[in-house]
Amino acid sequence: MDDVLTIAGREFSSRLITGTGKYETFELMRDAVAASGCEMVTVAVRRIDLDAGDDASILDFLPEDVLLLPNTAGCETAEEAVRVARLARAGGLPDWVKLEVIPDPRHLLPDPVETLRAAEILVEDGFTVLPYMLPDPVLARRLAEVGCATVMPLAAPIGTGRGLKLRDSIRIMVEEAEVPVVVDAGLGAPSHAAEAMELGADAVLVNTAIARAGDPVTMARAFRLAVEAGRAGRLAGVMDEQATAQPSSPVGGLVTQP
Amino acid sequence: MSAAVTVNGRVHELEAGETVERLLERLGLGARYALVERNGDPVERAAYGSVELAPGDTLVVARPVAGG
Repeated sequence: MDDVLTIAGREFSSRLITGTGKYETFELMRDAVAASGCEMVTVAVRRIDLDAGDDASILDFLPEDVLLLPNTAGCETAEEAVRVARLARAGGLPDWVKLEVIPDPRHLLPDPVETLRAAEILVEDGFTVLPYMLPDPVLARRLAEVGCATVMPLAAPIGTGRGLKLRDSIRIMVEEAEVPVVVDAGLGAPSHAAEAMELGADAVLVNTAIARAGDPVTMARAFRLAVEAGRAGRLAGVMDEQATAQPSSPVGGLVTQP
Repeated sequence: MSAAVTVNGRVHELEAGETVERLLERLGLGARYALVERNGDPVERAAYGSVELAPGDTLVVARPVAGG
C-alpha cells in the first residue's frame, strides 16, 4: 500500500516520530530508533559543559537517513525559540524545527500567543516549522495560515503517558486540518497511538513511553506496529458504533427451531 | 590584561587572530557538532574557519543533545 506522509514536500513512509530523550544510554536509543522504523527524531540544543571534555555526541548514534528535528525545549518566549532555531540551523542542523514555547514548568503547557509569534518569524526566515500546541482548532488554523508545516497537538501533558485526554478537540482539528496533524506528547501505550491514528491523526510523536519502558527496543517496535494498525484502520473505515447488539450469525434457520 | 573572550559565561584568553574554529580546537571541542553564537548572532558553520574573534566577544557554544 502506497501511503506516504508528506510534510513540507518531504515524504515519510513511517508515521511514527520519536524523541531521543530519557534513554539510559545512546546505544539503547540507537536500537530503539531502529526498531521504531521512524524517519525523523527530535533533538534538543544545550550549552556544552566545557569541563566535561569531549564526550560522545548523540549524532554519532543516529543514522544519516533519519531527519533530525531540533526542538526549542526550554524556551519560554518567542525570542528565545527563534534564537535557538537560528543557532541550530547556522551550525549545520536542518532548517526544520519543533517549535516549543513553554513558560510553565509544572504542567509544561505551551504558550499559544508566543508560539504563533515565533512561528511567523521562523516561517518568514525560511524554517519548516512544526509547532507543539494545545489542541485548539482555531489556533491550528492560525498556525497553518502563517505557514507552519504541521500542527502538533498534545494528547496529554508531556511525560504523563495518559493517552488521548483531549480527544474531542483533536478530532475537530483532524476534521478541519489544512496541514498534517501530529499528536505529540502524552501517549503512554501503543494502544494510545493506535487510537490517535484511528481518529485520523497523520502521525504521532513518542518519547517517554518508549524510552522509559521496561524494554525500550521492544516497545519501539510495539509503537511502530500500533501506528501502522491504527493508520490501516483509519483508511479501512472504522464501523459506526451501535446502540444495541446486532447478531453476527443468521437469525433464521436455527437447528433447534420447531 | 591580555585580550579575552567569554565562552558560556567563562573568560578565556584570546590568541591574536583567533578564529572560531581555532578556539573550538583549543577548548577541546570537535568543531563537528558545535553550534556557535557570537555576541547574540549565530555563526554559520561554513564561516567557523574565517570568522576572527575580537577581544570582549561573548560566545555561546552549544550542541545537539537527547531531547523530545
